Amino acid sequence: MKLKNILNKDLVKIDLKGNNKSEIINELLDLLVENGKLKDKELAFKDIMYREQQMSTGIQQGIAIPHSKTKSVDNLVACIGVKKEGVDFSSLDGVPSNIFILTLSPSDHIGPHVQFLAEISRIIKTEESRIKILNARSKNQVLSVFGI
Amino acid sequence: MAEEMMVLMLQLGIILIVSKFIGYIFAKYLKQPKVLGELVAGMIIGPYLLGGIAIGSLAPLFPLPMNSTVPVSPALYGISTLGSIFLLFGSGLETDLPTFIRFSGKATVIGLSGVIISFFLGAGVTVLFRPEVNSIMEPEALFLGTVCTATSIGITARILGENKKIGTPEGVTIMAAAVLDDVISIVLLSVVVGISSVQLEGGTVAWSMIGFVAFKAIAFWVVCMVLGIILAPHFTKNMKKLGELPLISEVSFGIALLLAGFSEMAGLAMIIGAYITGLSLSQTDVANSLSKRIDSVSEFFVPVFFAVMGMMVNFGALKAVLGFALIFSAIAFIGKLVGCGAPALLVGFNLRGAFRIGSGMLPRGEVTLIVAGIGLASGAINHELFGVAVMTMLVASVTAPPLLLEAFKSGGSGYKRSLDFNGNADQITIELDFPSMRAAQFICDTVMEGFIQEGFFVSKLDSSKYASYQIRKDDIVILLNMIRGEDEEATVRFFCGREEESFVRLMMLESVADFKEFATTISSMGDTNMISAQLLMNMFLEK
Repeated sequence: MKLKNILNKDLVKIDLKGNNKSEIINELLDLLVENGKLKDKELAFKDIMYREQQMSTGIQQGIAIPHSKTKSVDNLVACIGVKKEGVDFSSLDGVPSNIFILTLSPSDHIGPHVQFLAEISRIIKTEESRIKILNARSKNQVLSVFGI
Repeated sequence: MAEEMMVLMLQLGIILIVSKFIGYIFAKYLKQPKVLGELVAGMIIGPYLLGGIAIGSLAPLFPLPMNSTVPVSPALYGISTLGSIFLLFGSGLETDLPTFIRFSGKATVIGLSGVIISFFLGAGVTVLFRPEVNSIMEPEALFLGTVCTATSIGITARILGENKKIGTPEGVTIMAAAVLDDVISIVLLSVVVGISSVQLEGGTVAWSMIGFVAFKAIAFWVVCMVLGIILAPHFTKNMKKLGELPLISEVSFGIALLLAGFSEMAGLAMIIGAYITGLSLSQTDVANSLSKRIDSVSEFFVPVFFAVMGMMVNFGALKAVLGFALIFSAIAFIGKLVGCGAPALLVGFNLRGAFRIGSGMLPRGEVTLIVAGIGLASGAINHELFGVAVMTMLVASVTAPPLLLEAFKSGGSGYKRSLDFNGNADQITIELDFPSMRAAQFICDTVMEGFIQEGFFVSKLDSSKYASYQIRKDDIVILLNMIRGEDEEATVRFFCGREEESFVRLMMLESVADFKEFATTISSMGDTNMISAQLLMNMFLEK
């Protein structure tokens, strides 16, 4: 899967303002709306929060991968957000999350978002790449970690 | 015409009923492959035994046709040819093309050597013992040589799978080499058919002619394979847009039939076109579904093919060549055992491993019969030699399984070096426990569905104790095992490369989330007492 087909500079926000899970998700969804990637923001928000109820997507080491299958998109869409101070995302290790990768994919299959998330996870597995993302001063610096 | 068709229907009915029953008895009680039963059924009901006997005023059901090299009616032979096309189209579909292309060196050496040694031993012994055959370039020698080359991957896979030996270095090598063997045998068949047809038309075969025929056969293969590999994914992708999976199977089989006709037009055997079509489609993500759909129809036609092959065995003619048949069977046996075992010694296996590989390559099956059947139908070999070929196949198929079992029983590694054959250092295990086998099965089904959507091929490995699946895409191989615990609980275990770890973990996570969502939906249906009241309320109201 080619990450550069999915991510670009406009889909990165390095200074998220939100202070809790729903504010962060709302902010990231706004980013997708601004880029014309989302048909129905309300539905997408509902679907993502439903998925969060099933199982929190705050994984470990400050990473959260909120995602869901939804009718609000036709293709796989994603965006990246960073909030240095971190917010509580009910993560597995209890550490506040500071790197957020939000993914939405069409609802009829388990589909390509797993491959996308796997690719992303493989990259941000190392502490080095996580530090690079947190210290990035521009959107391009964030993308360069993903080889874009 | 109407009477011919009536006879054909009666013949097909009897063939299906008898061959299915005898196949069942072979599989269930004699622990033999059911194809052997179908073959034997054909021998029993064929024109040379019961089928040739007239009952009272009724004419024989399988009369010998006049002036024909084949002892069954053209219509019945046509249906059996259709069976062979189904068979080879299915075999092609089930071949793992990426593995096939990416062949490990060991399997190539072993497969090739097995084919070459078996071919020359088979052809050589025919020249030596048959006074009418003077050179290995004569059709009889060419066909009998080719008969010795193919390996029945089905029989070997079943035995290795049942004994959980498929993953061993020997198992992997046997499976890979057997696929290669079949392909080389079919290419060889193309060349042999070409050379024989020139000879049978009275032409002399010069080396330049052999070169031309071989070139034509290989060129047909290469052109069709390259076109197939390029076009098949586009074809299935566009067909998928129509949203009708059955349509893809039927159109694909139509293409297989067309290519079968074209390969015959090009002077090759029809099954080659069918095999190439299957092989090209095997790389697509719908291969599994196509294979399942084709299999269900094949079950009706393939037994007709095996039974008709059995019917071609003329016992009277076989009596005269029984001695030769025994020698030929023994030589064919040695050809494979030594031809595949000896090179195994050269590529890192010890004597035990070499014996295992040699015996794993012994079973023969459908390709052997197809080669012999084409030889008989084209007049290249007579009934006597056809009987020899069938007997060789029967001897190898009956003796190989116990030998293979014995070879693997004697414990110990068959590999010279202590190196891990599969490079397991980079393999990791991911486990998740479930409260019941049902829950584990549900998650596994969802996970596999997810993998299929990602373009993976999922196949169930033959294994009675554990449910095992192989999930693969190009060079990625993931193994999934479901293991039942003592108290109904179950464990799902994945073996995969480090590179795939994130992917497998996330796929599993998504499936569990999916399961939870499913459970929530079901529980939203309300109290079970209410559901039962709703369902059963009116059941006892009848007066």
